Amino acid sequence: MNEPAAPHPGENVEYRVAHLRDRLAAEELGELGVRAEMRAGAVVVTGTVPSAQCRETVLRTVHEELSGLSVHTDVVVAETATPDHAEELP
Amino acid sequence: MIRVAAVGDIHMGLESQGLLRPAFDTLPDCADLLLLAGDLTRHGTPEEARVVAREVRGLAVPVVAVLGNHDHHDEQPGKVAALLEDAGVRVLEGEGTVVECAGTRVGVAGTKGFGGGFVGRSAGEFGEPLMKEFVRYSRRCADGLRAALEELDRQGCAIRVALTHFSPVADTLAGEPPEIYPFLGSYLLAEAIDTAGADLSVHGHAHAGTEHGMTAGGVRVRNVAQPVIRRAFNVYHLHAG
Repeated sequence: MNEPAAPHPGENVEYRVAHLRDRLAAEELGELGVRAEMRAGAVVVTGTVPSAQCRETVLRTVHEELSGLSVHTDVVVAETATPDHAEELP
Repeated sequence: MIRVAAVGDIHMGLESQGLLRPAFDTLPDCADLLLLAGDLTRHGTPEEARVVAREVRGLAVPVVAVLGNHDHHDEQPGKVAALLEDAGVRVLEGEGTVVECAGTRVGVAGTKGFGGGFVGRSAGEFGEPLMKEFVRYSRRCADGLRAALEELDRQGCAIRVALTHFSPVADTLAGEPPEIYPFLGSYLLAEAIDTAGADLSVHGHAHAGTEHGMTAGGVRVRNVAQPVIRRAFNVYHLHAG
């Protein structure tokens, strides 16, 4: 992976993160559950999405929108297994 | 003993068909009914609603749902609800339904609910018309839930469940940024539940929240958003009386 370029002097990364969140919500994903936060000079993107296709789209959008920034992602697909036990509510 | 299966925030899109059906087909082995706690679609389009409808059509247990904010995004919630009802789902908004489970009358009262926040940190019905309408809408949802729970009591339900999309308590939001709590729920829902009484409160909406909480009046609350429970659904065993 190439070393990310430093943000341009004076560039406000916070607004780029905000625009990423707007784009995730507005485009085909309608995704409000992915969190993007600044942490120690990098953008950390986390969340659970409903399908593998959604995950690919989120990651592609993140890398387009945050091009040139250091980005860490931990986006997982919702699990669909049957529960192995119930909770008793006496 | 009544076995209640529940999940919310399944966010089905056009590529989602069949993801949940294998698990839903096991429901008769472990549950008496399935509750869907809103955000069943991504944008609330009829096409997405048809995916959800096909996913639950013909299940061997009754299915009761409320819509979520995503199901309103395309501004056709009536159409979304109608498509689900056509597939046999009972969709609730400010009303209740009674399900007979092994001789026990189980009542489910539902509303999408809305935001506004929690006691001491909540929006007030004051100022601009939009702000007042925000709070009034949340209050109408809560009033509908209370009236539905009270009606289920009059109908002799041995067990009553409050089904919402937005959260009635802050407990189950733990993990979400505190700054957005007012967009995730309202204490008005909990006040309605505590006033009318219920055996369990089930909601979704807060993907990064936690499963367990309780209202001030002692009603157990469960956040069943799929990202929280990390399963196709969870099952709760309730005991009448």
